[in-house]
Amino acid sequence: MREGKDALQELVIRDRDHECEGYGASKVCVKVVAVADLPTRFGRFRLVGFWNNRDGKEHVAMVHGEVVGEEDVPVRIHSECLTGDVLGSLRCDCRDQLTEGLRAIAAAPRGVLLYLRQEGRGIGLLNKIRAYALQEEGLDTVEANRALGFRDDERDYAIAAHMLTSLGIRSVRLITNNPDKIRQLTQHGVVVTGRIPHVIPPNEYNRFYLETKARRSGHMIDLAENRIPEQSDPVLVEGMPPR
Amino acid sequence: MSGDGGVLVVGAGVAGLSCARALTDAGRAVAVVDRARGVGGRCATRRVEGQAVDTGVAFLHGRDPAFTAVLESVPATCLSGWPVDVHGSGRPCQPEAFGPGERRLSYAEGVNAFPRHLASGLRVRTRAPVERLDLSGKRSRAVLEGGEALEAGTLVLALAPEEAQRLLGSVPEPPGQVASALAVLGTARSDAALALAALYPREAPRPPWQVSYPEDSSILQIVSHDSSKRTAPAFLALVCQAHPRWSREHAEEPLWPDLVLGELARLLGRWALAPVHRHPHRWRYARTDRSAELASPLLFPLPGGCRLGLCGDRFAPGGGVEAAWISGRALARRILAEEDA
Repeated sequence: MREGKDALQELVIRDRDHECEGYGASKVCVKVVAVADLPTRFGRFRLVGFWNNRDGKEHVAMVHGEVVGEEDVPVRIHSECLTGDVLGSLRCDCRDQLTEGLRAIAAAPRGVLLYLRQEGRGIGLLNKIRAYALQEEGLDTVEANRALGFRDDERDYAIAAHMLTSLGIRSVRLITNNPDKIRQLTQHGVVVTGRIPHVIPPNEYNRFYLETKARRSGHMIDLAENRIPEQSDPVLVEGMPPR
Repeated sequence: MSGDGGVLVVGAGVAGLSCARALTDAGRAVAVVDRARGVGGRCATRRVEGQAVDTGVAFLHGRDPAFTAVLESVPATCLSGWPVDVHGSGRPCQPEAFGPGERRLSYAEGVNAFPRHLASGLRVRTRAPVERLDLSGKRSRAVLEGGEALEAGTLVLALAPEEAQRLLGSVPEPPGQVASALAVLGTARSDAALALAALYPREAPRPPWQVSYPEDSSILQIVSHDSSKRTAPAFLALVCQAHPRWSREHAEEPLWPDLVLGELARLLGRWALAPVHRHPHRWRYARTDRSAELASPLLFPLPGGCRLGLCGDRFAPGGGVEAAWISGRALARRILAEEDA
């Protein structure tokens, strides 16, 4: 049992009638609507649920430790990937990236993982399946994936920036291998004081990143080269040779 | 110099005109060709016995502020809010048309006033069907029926997905990008719509609604009381459009207009069986289902140096005329952005 209201629950009351101009081109506005404890296999988190004014997608933040009003808070932004996160797909590295993100944040004194919902609307997932089918045909899929709506970074950063602001975080250290994410978040007014590389420990499913020999022959090459970077974050596996 | 080579847009529907308009406004040399006699594609208004009849799109709707602003700038008599009286609880062709925040309107002169407005000042050549494409060189070539070849640095296909597929299928030694474009186009098919405009004497019983979506018809999806849009109509005009599946199954059946009239008579009364004029039209590629929609237009740089773009109502979320307009504008922006880069 918690005693009294904590800082996160105060945000629910603060945001009851929150309305602002919105962030980014789509002028998205979010508000904190629900908070609860969420014990996980990685450690204790508080789950913060957001409402937004643009679509029915319920974005959430996994919060570890005290973050409201804090500086230099480690933050990982993760985009929902049903096939990877939940179904254990090896077409992407989302599950490894998610679990390592949660593990790293739980191990730190404080931190936040923003989990951005992508596929709430049927079409997102359907077009992703279509994109996979095109990939199977060995097609040049970069432009095709764009049309299939595979990623919408601009939207993601706008939502992420508003969520971080709503959480009262004064500055962040972003857990990413993609420096462009820092620039994008900064554009939306988030103060980024540093970057923490997102390094995944080797396991039997990402081993091929380490086996340079295997990259040149055999099926490993397909797995490594054909993965779609769904988190717009290059994968870095511990011990991986520089590309 | 950026943007040399110009742009050729194939298809003078709303997507193609929107793309051409945005590129022209940015100072690019653009030519538009279409196989039909006029512009607008499915935003079609025919003259039947001198009376304007909308045979495709019955009304325009959207919520994008830039789109609704263009609709309101059309120099025509705007019927704001049309249709106001909507009858029946059948599924509308585009359910979001009646969602909150959606603006609906039509024009007393016919919906074609919108594409004609987009086309004003553009270089548009009608009755110019493109037969095949050659995308191997620095300039793309579109060969018209009859053999005349049009060249441009950037070729935009603003066609129904099936028509774009057919043209891309004619590309000799297609590069990988063409295969990708074909694969994206091949992820879904368009719905057909058999449309029948039926004109009755002015004294005929006038339906007390502007649009009906009959809930108990397996044939008719929408009946538009077209003459209720006109200022002084000589006839009562009703435009029926059949459900996608029924349309597909009956497209080759010569007597489909009689079946449509029979159903209309069942819904409205026997008088509807015998119009004084009828104008059937088969929209083979009437619209795409929401499950087929794509997020954005396609733009491929090709190995030979030219570029291939694709836009259309399927290439933006939401579907319909609004999506067509948005996709054309989005493609124009990408063409310009990549020239500037």
